[in-house]
Amino acid sequence: MNQRVRVTSPQTRLAQRRGADAKGRLSHLAGRPPVPSSAIDLDAAENALRRQRRLAVTTAGALLSALAVLLTAAALTPGHLGWILLFFVPYPILLALAALHVRRAERIEDTHHGDGP
Amino acid sequence: MLGLAAIGAVIVASVLIGVWGVRAARSTPDFLVASRSIVPGWNALAIAGEYVSAASVLGLAGLLVKNGVGAMWYAVGFTAGYVLVAALVAGPMRRSGAYTVPDFAEYRLASPRLRRMCGLVVLVIMLLYLLPQFKAAGVVLELVSGIPYWIGVVGAGLVVSSTIAVGGMRSATYVQAFHYLVKLAFIAGPAVALFALAGPERRDAALNPIAADPGWTRPLLDLDGSGHSLLSTVSVLVATTLGAMGLPHVVMRFHTVAGARAARRVAVSVIVLLGFFYLFPVVYGLLGRVVTPDPEETDVVPVLVPGAIVPGTLGAVLTALVAAGAFAAFLSTSSGLLLALAGGLSHDLFGGSLSRLRLGVVVGTVLAVALALPAADVDINVLVGWAFAVAASTFCPLLTLGIWWRGLTATGATVGLLIGAGSSTGAALASAVLDLEPGPVSILLAQPALWTVPLAFASMALASRPGSVPGWAGEAVLRLHVPGRHSTGDTDAIPRPRPGNRLDADRGTG
Repeated sequence: MNQRVRVTSPQTRLAQRRGADAKGRLSHLAGRPPVPSSAIDLDAAENALRRQRRLAVTTAGALLSALAVLLTAAALTPGHLGWILLFFVPYPILLALAALHVRRAERIEDTHHGDGP
Repeated sequence: MLGLAAIGAVIVASVLIGVWGVRAARSTPDFLVASRSIVPGWNALAIAGEYVSAASVLGLAGLLVKNGVGAMWYAVGFTAGYVLVAALVAGPMRRSGAYTVPDFAEYRLASPRLRRMCGLVVLVIMLLYLLPQFKAAGVVLELVSGIPYWIGVVGAGLVVSSTIAVGGMRSATYVQAFHYLVKLAFIAGPAVALFALAGPERRDAALNPIAADPGWTRPLLDLDGSGHSLLSTVSVLVATTLGAMGLPHVVMRFHTVAGARAARRVAVSVIVLLGFFYLFPVVYGLLGRVVTPDPEETDVVPVLVPGAIVPGTLGAVLTALVAAGAFAAFLSTSSGLLLALAGGLSHDLFGGSLSRLRLGVVVGTVLAVALALPAADVDINVLVGWAFAVAASTFCPLLTLGIWWRGLTATGATVGLLIGAGSSTGAALASAVLDLEPGPVSILLAQPALWTVPLAFASMALASRPGSVPGWAGEAVLRLHVPGRHSTGDTDAIPRPRPGNRLDADRGTG
C-alpha cells in the first residue's frame, strides 16, 4: 500500500539502463536488449547517409574555398583594406556557411521516412 | 589590489553559481554530461565561454602587437572550426550516445584497446591546452598583485579543481556561461572605454598602423620572422580549423543538449558568439601597438594597455576589470579542460566511478600546475597551437572517418592515431628542443598540422583493410545519420548493434 517507489526522470532511467559494468565502467553492452533489426529502415538510412555526406562534403569544400579566397584577398589587397578585411569579413561568411548547412541537413532529416514504428 | 579584488569577486561568484548548479551531480552521466538536460542557449554560451580561453583574451592581443595583424588568422581558424563541427561532427556524435571521444571509438569500432589509446590522446591534448591557461593565470596575478608566478599558478589550480570536483558538468555549464558574459563585459567594456579615452592622437595612430609600420599590417602570419609567411599562415589555419573538430572537451559538450538538431544549432550559435568576441582582441592589439609597443611579456598586453592610456584611479579600475575578464577566461577554459581530462583519466583509462572522476580532476590539476611552473616564458598561443595540432592530427581524422566512412576499422584507427599523435607531438617537441634556423623546416615543426593531418588521414584509411570490416559496422554508421523516433529529439542513447547482427554485411563498405 504505502510502498515507496523510486521516482526517476526518463534521463536518469536511461542513464541507469545504459548502466555500468562490474568495474563501474560505462558499457554499451551491459544489460542491453538486442537491437531489433527493424529499428531502422536500412534503405532509407542509406539514402539519408548519402545525402548528408554529399552535403557535408559540399560544406567542407565551400569552407576551404572561402578560406583560400580570404587568404589570397588579404594577401593581395594593398593598404588598409587588407587588414580590415581580415578583422571583419571572415566571421559573417563562416556563419552563413554553417547556418546554410544546418538548414539543409535538417531538411534532409525532415524528408527522411525511414523511422521505425 | 583592485585587480586582486575584482578577480576575487569573479571567483566567489563562480563558486556560488557552481554550488547552485551542484544539485544534480550524483551519477556519472550527471557529472559528465549534466544528464543531457542543458538548454541549448546556455550550452552555446558555455561552449563559447570555455572556448574563448586565455589564448583568445590575452594571447591574441599579445601576438597582434608582436607579430602584426596576421595573428588574427588564429581567431579565424578557431571560428572556422565550428563550421566543420556543425557540418561533420555535432549531429552524428550526439546520436552516437557516446559521452567522450573514447566512448565514440568504442561505439564505432568495438575495441577496448583503441578506447584506452584515445584516453591517452585526450590526456596529451588536454594537458597541452591546460598548461597555457595556468600560465595565463600566473602572469595575470603576478602583474596585478605582485604575487609570485608560482603561487598564482598553484592558487589558480586550487580554485578550479575545487569548483569542478564538487559540481561536475552541470555546475560547469552555468559557471562557464557566466564566464562568457564576464569576459565579454570586462573585455569589451574597457575596450570601448579605452578607445574613447585614448585621445585623438593615439586613436589615429592606432587606426593608421600602416603609416608607422607597413610590415605590421601585412595580413599574413609570420612566426619567428622566417620569411615564409604564407606557409605558416596556412599551417596555423589547418591546425586551428581542424583541431577545433577534435577537441575532446568541445565534443563532450554536444552531449549536454537534448538532440542532434540542438547540437548542430549550438555549433552555429557558437560561431556568432566567437565572431563577436574576436572584435575585442583587435582593439587591444591596435591600441597596444601604439601604447605598449615593446612589452616584456606579450601575453599580458591587454592588462597593460589600460594603465598606459589612462593613469590614475580610472586606469586602475579598467586594469582590474580586464584582469578579472582574463581570469574568467582562465577559470572557464580550465574547468572544461579538467573535466575532459578527468573523464580521460578515470572513465576511459581506469573505468572510474564518480569518486575516481573527482580524483581525476585533482590529479589533472596537479599535473597541469607542475607543467605550468617551468613554462612561464612560452607564448600562450604557441602552446595552444600545439594542442590544436595534436587534436587535428588524431581525433579529427578518427571522428571524420568514423562518422562518414563505413570502411574504417579498429586497426586502421589505431595505426592512424599512433602516427598522427606521434608525428604531431614529436614535431612540437622537436621545435621546442632544437634550436633551428628560421625557415620552412622550423615552421613545419612548430606548426606541424599541414603535414601531420594528411598523414594521419592517409594512414587511417590505408591501414583499414576492406576485408576486415565487421558486419555491424554498416549499421553503426547508418544509425548516426538517421533521425530518432521523435525526429527532433534523439534523446535516446543509440545502442550499438551487437557484433553478429547480420544486417549490413553484404552492403560492402560504401
